Amino acid sequence: MKTQSAMTAYVREIGAWTATQLQACTRCGLCADACHFYQALGNPEYAPVWKVELLRRAFEQRFTLAGRLKLAVGLDKRVTDEDLAHWSTIVYEACTLCNKCAMVCPMGIQLGPLIHDVRAGMAAAGVVPADLVAATTKQKEIGSPLGVTGKTWAERMEWIGDEWEVKVPVDVRGAETLVVFTSIELMKFPENIAAVARIMDKAGEKWTTSSKGREVVNFGYFEADPELTKLFLARVFDAAKELGVKRIMISECGHAYDAFRWTAANIMDVPAGIEVTHIAQVMHDLWKAGRIRLKKGAFDDGTVTFHDSCKIQRRGGIIKEPREILKWLAPKAFREMIPNKEQALCCGGGGGVISIQEADPLRFAVFGMKIDQMKAIGAESVCMVCSNCRLQFVEGVAHFSSAVRVRGLTEMVSQALE
Amino acid sequence: MDWTDALRFFRGPFFTASLLFFIGGMAYRLVHAVLMGFTRDRVESRGSKLTGVVKTYLKGLLVLPFIPWVRRTFGKNALTYVAGGLFHLALFAVIFFGTPHMLVWKSLLGFGWPTLPLPVTDWLAAVGIISLIVLLLNRLTHPVLKLITRSPDWVNWALVFLPFATGYMMAHHMFLRYEVLFSLHMMTVDVLLIWIPLGRIAHLMFYFFSRTFQGAQAGKRAVNP
Repeated sequence: MKTQSAMTAYVREIGAWTATQLQACTRCGLCADACHFYQALGNPEYAPVWKVELLRRAFEQRFTLAGRLKLAVGLDKRVTDEDLAHWSTIVYEACTLCNKCAMVCPMGIQLGPLIHDVRAGMAAAGVVPADLVAATTKQKEIGSPLGVTGKTWAERMEWIGDEWEVKVPVDVRGAETLVVFTSIELMKFPENIAAVARIMDKAGEKWTTSSKGREVVNFGYFEADPELTKLFLARVFDAAKELGVKRIMISECGHAYDAFRWTAANIMDVPAGIEVTHIAQVMHDLWKAGRIRLKKGAFDDGTVTFHDSCKIQRRGGIIKEPREILKWLAPKAFREMIPNKEQALCCGGGGGVISIQEADPLRFAVFGMKIDQMKAIGAESVCMVCSNCRLQFVEGVAHFSSAVRVRGLTEMVSQALE
Repeated sequence: MDWTDALRFFRGPFFTASLLFFIGGMAYRLVHAVLMGFTRDRVESRGSKLTGVVKTYLKGLLVLPFIPWVRRTFGKNALTYVAGGLFHLALFAVIFFGTPHMLVWKSLLGFGWPTLPLPVTDWLAAVGIISLIVLLLNRLTHPVLKLITRSPDWVNWALVFLPFATGYMMAHHMFLRYEVLFSLHMMTVDVLLIWIPLGRIAHLMFYFFSRTFQGAQAGKRAVNP
């Protein structure tokens, strides 16, 4: 029964884009080399090629003569409910959809999006890790995966305003930029919200937050449930339309940026004339335009490095902007981890993995590779533009008792304001 | 029937039939896949898709197969990547620029082109055979490949290896009589031609889809593919 739902979802999803890529695979296994989960844990089932196995079976068995023939003579296996349960742990707990495998595949197969498709079948069949479902349900019913109610949100925003002596405008009609934060920032990194407020104020930007579109994270997108993904996107788009803003600025969140910037227009009607941008891009643009001034060398004490978040850098293209800022803030102290930029290693907490408790040992094992990377260059502090990565770093650094200091780039910029 | 008749069959009617099956089979797979329909990308690009596509082909064809270290990712498996690259280089060089093969193309297409000197083709063929053996050993030992390899994958390997091996033996007059080797060479090529549209060697066509997507996705986001 579950299998039926999953297969129906797969059949619906598979078009020429998927079919051509599944048929391009030569089963060379090189993608395994790119996968931080396979590298850190050595389980061959974590190889990206194996993660799309169910999608391959669905395609071959439903759409091709050879696949049907192979099934008939017993050369291929049917997908069963047990398979779904088994692969559910693999694709949700041992994959952050970081898409590094697609950079390495000799065929250039977009494995990240294909694994997202595999997840969509799981979501349709209801075979999603319980923790992820719980967070998604909270986001659906309360409006935040961490269970932040509208009331708590408003109180918290007010508290941030008082505590850091900043103005956090709420529901201001006619503002130009709608800034949407994550619950992680609200509850765990409130200084980040204060930092954004300070930067926007200094730049004289007309901005607002929205009490309706108050959550930027999209747990529907983590789960790969198309309806929930659209619902959570629509909450923010509707708020933006209502407030009449010109752009939506995603705060430090990677998957949200991917969903709003690169996915929304292809799965739903998005309001025309509203640009989607990311805080890293905005800070850079404001600085380049001279609307904010930053103290040169403000962070030049102690080696500082930058962690590339897969959805903002490799999958988002905002690669040179944060680096230009960092080279200004820490011209002598800034050092790159290796590999970096498009080839960077994912932190291991993205794609919803961090919210699944069962996956903790996996994500910490993966984070060990990040620790090695930072050690290799003697990093004393690391910064990034994604709160999800940041949370993973904070927890990971504590897990390995490392002394590396973890910061958001936005926070650093706000401290360097002149 | 002696080997001369066999040779006449394998390079004559059987070859023609195999070639037609290959063309028909590949055309079927192409049409079958494309008819599943592409959806339009309505997302506004940040960079140029075309630039991304050009870059990914240049990198994917010229750089990565031979200098995979630029990726700084293949700590353990660079040899496999290089073996794959060298195998394909050898394969295409021999098929298109080996003199006897060019003559086959000439008879099919009606025009020919300059070819590589025999010693060069010879070395390339040897490189191709060695690469195939490296890839086989890798497939036999790598934990991921042990998990994903199915019987057709062994057939793929064997059906590519045999024409290479018989061709090399032919050029060096090794072990068997020339017309026997020639017959075996043609027979394995014929079987390979029939096999390609049925299995994963069809990546020779689908490669151009996935590579293009990879480049377009990267270009659209203004990142280096």
